[in-house]
Amino acid sequence: MKVEQIVEATLFASQTPLTADEVARADENLDAESVVAAIQALRDAYEESERAFQIYQLGDGYQVLTRPEYAPYLERFDSVPRAPHLSPAALETLAIIAYRNPIGRIEIEEVRGVSASSVLRTLLDWELVEVVGRGEGLGRPLLYGVTRKFLEHFGLKDLSDLPAPDELPVVLGELQQAMEAELESSEKPETPAAQEEAEEEAT
Amino acid sequence: MTPSAPARDASPRAIEPFQVTLERFEGPLDLLLHLIRSQDIDIFDIPIARITEQFVLALEDELETMPIERAGEFLEMAATLVRIKAQLLLPRPEQPDWEEDPRAELVRRLLEYEHFQDVVHVLEGAEAQRGRHFAKGYVEGRPVPALAPVELQLTLTDFLSVAARIPEPAPPIEIRPPSQTVTVDEKVSLLRRLLAKTKRVAFDRLFKPWGTRAHAVAALLAALELAKQQALRIEQVKPFASIWLLPGDRKQAQSAAAGAETAEEIE
Repeated sequence: MKVEQIVEATLFASQTPLTADEVARADENLDAESVVAAIQALRDAYEESERAFQIYQLGDGYQVLTRPEYAPYLERFDSVPRAPHLSPAALETLAIIAYRNPIGRIEIEEVRGVSASSVLRTLLDWELVEVVGRGEGLGRPLLYGVTRKFLEHFGLKDLSDLPAPDELPVVLGELQQAMEAELESSEKPETPAAQEEAEEEAT
Repeated sequence: MTPSAPARDASPRAIEPFQVTLERFEGPLDLLLHLIRSQDIDIFDIPIARITEQFVLALEDELETMPIERAGEFLEMAATLVRIKAQLLLPRPEQPDWEEDPRAELVRRLLEYEHFQDVVHVLEGAEAQRGRHFAKGYVEGRPVPALAPVELQLTLTDFLSVAARIPEPAPPIEIRPPSQTVTVDEKVSLLRRLLAKTKRVAFDRLFKPWGTRAHAVAALLAALELAKQQALRIEQVKPFASIWLLPGDRKQAQSAAAGAETAEEIE
């Protein structure tokens, strides 16, 4: 049995993204490295034979998904869910959390100029954000970060898929730098405690 | 558009381009940014007086109907703008340092907010793109037959032993039929006949002669039904006074049908 076929079968049978480690559990002779290599070989093969699907990386997982050009055909079926759309408030909050990860509610509200508690609750419910630790200062506020599901929802490999601040149309220049320096000095999370808590959260 | 702030009593036309509905704005920063960008204002040199004026004007109509928390957020920004406006009036050093400009903090917040709006657009694009990829299992399969044939591997004894364990059915709850029944339809036709003959009908005449609750309920429903069809009007002078039913606008059309039915003597 070839490694590629085992990996292919595992990814084919799964309805959610699988990490390389998860795929490797299919066989004793597999490890993450060989899985990644097999995935690359499969991707090339699909590309060459013009398959209607491809293996995409979402967060740290891999999933077989149809190619976007076939969306119009699939959307004809009633049972195919419409592409999910998050509200502007949700997107705004996610944008801030994705770039300022980890960040507390008060800081999010300062950027948005409006309350963020209800939208945060929704995002927590949808598992697009999670508590990653506690900040210093009064009441040791909860700090939030985006989740693997956030990456899956937006089809990103990791946060570096998002444009760097200076690639965005608005260049903030010195103001931006001054602000970041100010923020960094004022709200560094307690790293060990934050990590412990993140792990607790994950289990 | 002149750069000077329009006077309070300026004609509505002068501010028309900036009449906005707050609904489409996420919050005060969003509105402020819209006012600045839509007028091509240099964000590092915001004419605070003019912007404040426009900001407050946009608030005026909708402030009262807004949820209180949201209203507070807009009012807080209005207060900030007024404070900056006041600070600008204070004497300043000849060569003002940008750091000391009362507008600096607001500008920083606006630029930061705008920056995240760009991120929002990136995320929107990514979300739309992701929505065009489908995973397995989304397309509905063929309908499954209601029940697949089951091959029985039971003997009659197995079946009977299970059947014996089923408890006796509970005795059925006894429902006594009412001694007299009456339908809403009967009351409707009675009421129509009466209205065809007389100018007004006392409501209790519809059920008093029978003296049962069922008749009273049916009479009430019949009166309400006809009132809904505008075939009659209901009048009561004061609470607990007699209720009178009077022919409504559509009485003529309705009574024609009613007249064909046999009259029932209740008067």
